[in-house]
Amino acid sequence: MEGKGIPGGIPRRTLLRASAIGAAASALPLVNVHGQTSGGRLALGLWDHWVPAGNDAMRKIVTEWGQKNRVEIQLDFITSVGNKNLLTIAAESQARQGHDMLSFPTWEVHAQAEKLEPLDDIMGRLSQKYGALNPIVEYLGKVQGKWRAVPAISGSQNKPALGRIDLLKQHAGIDIQEMFPANANPGSKAADWNWDTFLRAAEACQKAGVPFGLPAGQFTDATDWIGSLFRSFGAELVNAKGDITAKSDGVRRVLEYSQKLFAFLPADVFSWDDASNNRALISGKSALIFNPPSAWAVAKRDAPQVSEHCWTFPAPAGAQGRFTPYLPYFWGVWSFSRNKGAAKALVEFLSEREQAAAMVAASNGYDIPPFTSMTDFDTWEKEGPPTGVVYNYPVKPHHKAEQFIACYPAPPEIAVQMYNQGIQAKMIARVVQNKEPIDRTIAWAERELEGFKRG
Amino acid sequence: MSQGTLSAPVGAEATGRPMLRRLARRNSTVAFLLTLPLILLVLGLVVYPFFYAVYLSMLNRRMTRFIGWDNFTFLLSRETFWNVVFQSVLFAVSAVLLKAFIGFVLAHVLHALPSKGQRKWRGMLLVPWVIPPAISTLAWWWLFDPSYSAFNWALLGIGVDPVPWLGATGWARFSVILVNVWYGSPFFMIMYLAALKSVPDQLYEAAAIDGATGWQKLRHVTFPMMRNVISITVLFSLIVTFANFDIVRILTNGGPQDTTHVFATYAFQVGIQSGDIPLGASVSLFMFPLLAIFAIFTLRGVNKRSKEMA
Amino acid sequence: MSSTTANAIPAPEARQGSLKRERRWALIGAYIALAFFVVFFMVPPFHMLVTSLKSSAEIADLSGNPWMVSKPTLQNYWELLTQGNYLIHFRNSVMVTVITVIVSMIISVMAAFALARMKFWGSGTLATGVFLTYLVPETLLFIPMFQIIGGLGLYNNLWAMVLIFPTLTVPFCTWIMIGYFASIPKELDEAALIDGASHLQMLWKIFIPVALPGILAAMIFAFTVSWAAFIYPIAFLVSSDQMVLTVGIVSDLIRADTFQWGKIMAGALMAALPPLLVYAFLMDYYIAGLTAGATKG
Repeated sequence: MEGKGIPGGIPRRTLLRASAIGAAASALPLVNVHGQTSGGRLALGLWDHWVPAGNDAMRKIVTEWGQKNRVEIQLDFITSVGNKNLLTIAAESQARQGHDMLSFPTWEVHAQAEKLEPLDDIMGRLSQKYGALNPIVEYLGKVQGKWRAVPAISGSQNKPALGRIDLLKQHAGIDIQEMFPANANPGSKAADWNWDTFLRAAEACQKAGVPFGLPAGQFTDATDWIGSLFRSFGAELVNAKGDITAKSDGVRRVLEYSQKLFAFLPADVFSWDDASNNRALISGKSALIFNPPSAWAVAKRDAPQVSEHCWTFPAPAGAQGRFTPYLPYFWGVWSFSRNKGAAKALVEFLSEREQAAAMVAASNGYDIPPFTSMTDFDTWEKEGPPTGVVYNYPVKPHHKAEQFIACYPAPPEIAVQMYNQGIQAKMIARVVQNKEPIDRTIAWAERELEGFKRG
Repeated sequence: MSQGTLSAPVGAEATGRPMLRRLARRNSTVAFLLTLPLILLVLGLVVYPFFYAVYLSMLNRRMTRFIGWDNFTFLLSRETFWNVVFQSVLFAVSAVLLKAFIGFVLAHVLHALPSKGQRKWRGMLLVPWVIPPAISTLAWWWLFDPSYSAFNWALLGIGVDPVPWLGATGWARFSVILVNVWYGSPFFMIMYLAALKSVPDQLYEAAAIDGATGWQKLRHVTFPMMRNVISITVLFSLIVTFANFDIVRILTNGGPQDTTHVFATYAFQVGIQSGDIPLGASVSLFMFPLLAIFAIFTLRGVNKRSKEMA
Repeated sequence: MSSTTANAIPAPEARQGSLKRERRWALIGAYIALAFFVVFFMVPPFHMLVTSLKSSAEIADLSGNPWMVSKPTLQNYWELLTQGNYLIHFRNSVMVTVITVIVSMIISVMAAFALARMKFWGSGTLATGVFLTYLVPETLLFIPMFQIIGGLGLYNNLWAMVLIFPTLTVPFCTWIMIGYFASIPKELDEAALIDGASHLQMLWKIFIPVALPGILAAMIFAFTVSWAAFIYPIAFLVSSDQMVLTVGIVSDLIRADTFQWGKIMAGALMAALPPLLVYAFLMDYYIAGLTAGATKG
């Protein structure tokens, strides 16, 4: 990697020391000379965790692994703010250099599949050890029958409901703690937790001046919850074969429902971003948002009087079932990496249960491992106050819910455009903001989708 | 800047003496060497990547096949894209006009001040221009935040309903233009101020003796003298504003309903986020021919004027 | 001016009085306009300052006044300066900017001299063409640039910025300098040429000293632009120790959906200091430089 690698300050110095082993090293950049004597050098670009402790835990795990395996580690945390991670992926894919292993968000595995090392062997061993995976990661990580990346623990998140116990009880008469307590015995009302109940609660809270904070712009928080809403109404815009199926009763019904629901939301939700809903909750202005526990954790630091009334519970169910918004990350190894062996070994190591437990603990329970067998860590039971606030954050069997990514099961190259251009949110915006007739909106969506289908 | 700038290439004729002409010929090698770094920079880091980007814009989504103009014809058939064209033009033209106007007013006002107080005012008026825009836009965004908007807090104080700064199409368009004007006006101000200072006082005195009113002085003395500076500044700013990325990206990301997207942010969404780099390149290239024609005409006009003046 | 002569000429005394009154009103109008725009321009920086002096709990507290601080603290500034990479980013920004300014000035002064004083084949096209480079937007260039920078082995390297930033600064600087050089009387170089001085000697001994204010103006422009550059750094710099301020603040102080507003504001204000100082000290030269460049007629 010398000369063409990543000349970060410190790593470069250590690298010079390493090159002293073989004087020819720097002259033969294409050959992994260090491979024989040591594990070589590994450059990692991992998701920049929102909680600093998450980065520290990751650094510790990776460094220890590096020392044990005599691999020199260079670790960068790459933020998703301003889509810097997407820029980085595009840059390294074009430059064919950079890190050996990167965190790939949702759709990037498909986009970069040809430049990613197949990781079927790792996935085979992991599945054998830890059992079933959810179908969403398979949809996103497996390209033409081959795993091109391993579903990551760090960064993968659910976006269930995060509500105010006190406000929902007072204004909407819903006891969310009773409904979804911090144990596996849901209350009698849990089965009634559907979009109709949700609508009534939204109305009550809006009247009380604490409207639900549901974004409907083009950022992932908006796309994710709206995707689950569409799915639970059976509103599929494009099917798995790539046919446009927007003209359906499901779509009509979900848009009709949205007309009612959005009447009870703040008027400017159409421009909210991923942080606006957090702020609405933290400021005490909102009774419910869909978000990972980051909003609660920041409230714990800045507004404890809010955080102690927060509770995470599943998304409401619709006619087609209950779907928890899910945003997975992946760990992938570039095919142009010079140290694929070490990179793959590290990916496998990070995916093991012990490391998963450590990452979940360090992130206050934020990270969601891809294996269902790993949803039982005690971090989720212990976090608080209130104790058990994130117990229902991972999808538990008694939720009768599935993890879901918006636009599934459309073919990923179409879905990525639907997802990033927020077509579902825009449909709602047309119906609600522009008061456009539903059929006209569907016709508009069909035209857009037609454009996305173009190869 | 201004006249001198543009008369440059034409202003330096050899005067006809044979020795000078011979010198000039020999020195064309020197001249070439002196411009070489500039030529290399422009060729290597602008022209070559530009042509590469043009080539990119003619590939298919996966960048495996050459498809000619298909990306452009596809764009022209998209409703969303025409919205982007409309918004880009609205954004750039109104922002540049406002910046030019505010800059002009401020430069005049500053110029009229006694020189002692001028520095203080000038310093304060320059502040928006010196904060890196990517970060000052974040601060604006915080001022517009639906929950924490300090503007809405102040409005509430005087009994006005909260404004959806970024939530409704009209307001969102207003907000992105406002931030661009805020950031860019000081640049116009200093450019104009410099130009104003270069207008000889005698001209005004002459006009005053002729009994010209303030408006007449402005129209017949100041404006003609500043015309080249105005042209160049407007041209430069128009180009840069058309290419603006950070402000829209940070404030609205194109929302609500794509109504604030400009070329750069739309290209980013299509190219980087949705994995269609060639289409993104086509979006970025769309304005190039129009702006190029405009720029060439402007520069030619400026050149002609300075030749006449010389 | 012929049209103004056509106007009726009022009596001298009346004109004197109206002129005075006109001036007074103009001055009052000037101050009103100034005050209005100073408020408009200073509101966001003022809000930044206020926010930077608050603890994050106070920022999150909606019951407080967003325009006032109740418990001012310097903690945000202190933490930025003692923890994390802010100082490294600051140093990187200074390094990149200073070198970019030097490189830009060398390139544009040499080129401007040749273009202004040594007419040669294609010089007119080149002068126009250089300006036209601004027509190619950064958002278009960075994709091909990934390959160029990658090919040079400079991806995720601070020094790549020194290579790229001149594309943002050089064209405008060259134009400023052409204007300035063209304003220097031709008699000067003719005399020098007859004395047997070479063009390079002429540039070094006559043009650069005479054009110093213009060079300063161009330098300040280059400084502002490379200090504020955002798209290229965010596209090319990944490791925190390679980042410059603009991208460092965004990527280190915002984590996913949580913003450290106090520190972002503090970081931004401190980032605005160097350009502010540069302008405060050099503004007069800047204006003088632009003016002299523009006086040539």
